[in-house]
Amino acid sequence: MNKLNKTSKKTNKKSNIKAALSLATSALLGTGVLSAGVAQATEADEWQFDSAFLIYSEVDRVSATEAIIAGTKTFANDEILSLKLTIDALTGASANGAVAQPNAQTFTRPSGNGQYVTPAGETPLDDTFHDTRVQLNAQWTQPLADNITGSVGGHFSKEYDYLSLGVNGNLAYDFNKKNTTVSMGLSYFQDTFTPEGGIPKPHSSMLVGDSSSPEWDAEFAKTRIGDSDDKSTADILVGITQVINRRMITAFNYSYSMVDGYLTDPFKVVSVLNNEGLAQDYIYESRPDSRVKQSTFMQAKYNFDDSLLNTVADVSYRYMWDDWGINSHTIDTRFTIPVGATSYIEPHIRFYQQSEADFYQPYIIDDQAPIGFVSADYRIGEMTAITIGAKYGVVLNGGNELSFRLEYYRQTPTNAGFTDPNALNGQDIYPVVEAIIAQVSYSF
Amino acid sequence: MKANKPVFKTLSQPNTSKVHISKVNASKIKLALLTAVTVSLSACSSLGVEPWERDLLAKKEMALTSSPVDAALDDHIYFSKEASSGGKSFGGGGCGCN
Amino acid sequence: MKKKRILKLSSQKDSHSISFNAMASPCEVIVQTQNKRLAEQVAQCVSHEVWRIEDKYSRYDSQSICSQINNNAGNKVAIDEETFLLLNFAEQCYQLSDGLFDISSGVLRKVWSFDSLSGECQHFPSASDVNKLLNFVGWNRVSYDQQSINLPQNMELDFGGIGKEYAVDRCILLAKQITNEPILVNLGGDLAVTGPRLNNQAWQVAIEHPDSDVLGQRQDMIVALNQGALATSGDARRYLIKEGIRYGHVLNATTGWPIINAPRSITTVAPQCIQAGILATLALLQGEHAEQFLTEQDITFWARR
Repeated sequence: MNKLNKTSKKTNKKSNIKAALSLATSALLGTGVLSAGVAQATEADEWQFDSAFLIYSEVDRVSATEAIIAGTKTFANDEILSLKLTIDALTGASANGAVAQPNAQTFTRPSGNGQYVTPAGETPLDDTFHDTRVQLNAQWTQPLADNITGSVGGHFSKEYDYLSLGVNGNLAYDFNKKNTTVSMGLSYFQDTFTPEGGIPKPHSSMLVGDSSSPEWDAEFAKTRIGDSDDKSTADILVGITQVINRRMITAFNYSYSMVDGYLTDPFKVVSVLNNEGLAQDYIYESRPDSRVKQSTFMQAKYNFDDSLLNTVADVSYRYMWDDWGINSHTIDTRFTIPVGATSYIEPHIRFYQQSEADFYQPYIIDDQAPIGFVSADYRIGEMTAITIGAKYGVVLNGGNELSFRLEYYRQTPTNAGFTDPNALNGQDIYPVVEAIIAQVSYSF
Repeated sequence: MKANKPVFKTLSQPNTSKVHISKVNASKIKLALLTAVTVSLSACSSLGVEPWERDLLAKKEMALTSSPVDAALDDHIYFSKEASSGGKSFGGGGCGCN
Repeated sequence: MKKKRILKLSSQKDSHSISFNAMASPCEVIVQTQNKRLAEQVAQCVSHEVWRIEDKYSRYDSQSICSQINNNAGNKVAIDEETFLLLNFAEQCYQLSDGLFDISSGVLRKVWSFDSLSGECQHFPSASDVNKLLNFVGWNRVSYDQQSINLPQNMELDFGGIGKEYAVDRCILLAKQITNEPILVNLGGDLAVTGPRLNNQAWQVAIEHPDSDVLGQRQDMIVALNQGALATSGDARRYLIKEGIRYGHVLNATTGWPIINAPRSITTVAPQCIQAGILATLALLQGEHAEQFLTEQDITFWARR
């Protein structure tokens, strides 16, 4: 008798069987589906474009403008071609790694042509940065078999002093009624850096003096070890995506990244201070020639019902660690809140915290001779960062979407336990970096 | 397996007066309450949805990367300003900004 | 083997009605027109379509594709597009019902025999009898594509659960191509209309109460139908009684046993007849939750318990 009871106890499907049946019926009878909405699901054979223009502007430092246009075409048999063109331009000043001093400081430009002076009490910034970059990406995605999707892509990026070439491949397998997707991807980048002024010799002192003297060029060349250097990056990414229910989807990724080659920043120096804390010298930084990064990433998206305005919440967390001793936590949260039928507002909060690399030092004290790797680049030092912003999007009459995004980004480098010598008292060794991100996007 | 049905009769005379019959589900409210309970109980019983339940998941906002362009721009910014990259997608190299 | 197929046409004040027999049921088509020739045209078209579908999918007809598939179980059998679409539909229903609705469950009839006169099940099968047959039930083991189907050995397909409703929908489609006059197609109780009657009046449909014969009194329920279709699942006359429990005729394809505590019949409304039929059947398969199931799905229905 148990057999009989089993079915009657079975909980009912709350799902929309009615809608599913009308789909099945229209397939059987060759008639149109009565309810709209469902019929829109497949729009094939059209180019879909996304474009965006972004300004990133740091207070007193770098500003960048970036434009993207991306086109996607879906072919009848579910093949997808995506092409993307990115152009960006960078101008302004960037921290050169040296610390602020009670006196003015003179630095030689990375090219070796000319010098600049940082006033007393200010963070040394190299204001010669300006570069334009063009990037092209192409990606081809297609079903390979039932439930298996393959994708291959290429990457090309060129700027004045940098060339990057990349390829990637990805396989995704859907199962459990496509509620679960496992994927694995590989990517490989080969980059060549040809900085103006060449590659500085690690630990060598920055040459400061009369750049118009006849010996200058020969002396400067002694601090150089070549014109260019290479870097390769190989990434493995495995991921699983799981639909939880009608309102929720989650993703979990693990990635392993091996970077080999020239990982040093040729424009960065480290201040060498005497025991009082006064700068005696600036040496070019030196980083290991390999780095293995690993990260786990998890994301959940939830579509609330009308009691919460049909908001879509997107929460993700990333933990990254590497063999340089850096680990970081990133929490990224967005809420897409519909406003009326055709627009939405999307608040965004991102929190980031990283520990410093083992070889990070804000400066070197003279009598502790640098023996190993050293960098004073605050970007591999201990810091926290926060991004707060919002996006407003509106769907226009033709179905095209126009959106605006405005965000505030604030980096707060922190002291990882270094005790500053006296001369640095009152100096801002860990200056805050603030930036505004403004973006306009248009999809058509 | 469907059996013989009760026989329907079509009444074609339009002028015959007819009673308008309401639905038989008298205890509708009770059922609605039951439904609510069933729904909340079954919510965690299994992961995933049927193909026809993908109405919400199919929305662009519910894509894991709902705006690829924003994601690309953000990745570029944070790649060049922080020590971490990737995680969600390839961290990659790609520019001399770091 | 073919029965004689006769069409009867009669005319009322403002309409013509055609009656014929098909799929073991009395069938009726009403065309609201005084144009006899038009009515005849519709009659020809509709009856031919119904008989065509009967010939093609009846499991009693040895020439049917259904019999061909069943007789060649274990081998590939070529199928046409219509069959493919029907199989696809059956597949959807199987998925939607978690396997409760299964067009391969017909073999269970071998142990669940219902007396044709009393409707009672004469002997209650043993669990092992049922389990033996259950080995030959399972749509998930059937493989098919656009060209062919491969039914595992000893299995059988039965289009009885969808064939008649499908025929109703096909008839409505064909009839609409012939005329805009209001038409009702009723195949043994599963019916659909092309739209409201003239002057936007609803079709009046009486649903006979299952107990009317037993009690000797009529308790017809009258339904007004403007659009769409009505279908009924369940049969009050077929049941079995054991230890004082009354089991319905509908079998659970996953267990091979009848569903208990299901309404005796359910009538539902849907845009297409095949939808209405499946919804009614799926509801019956929910047993005591039948009404709840339909309420949740926001479906208009009439249940008889």
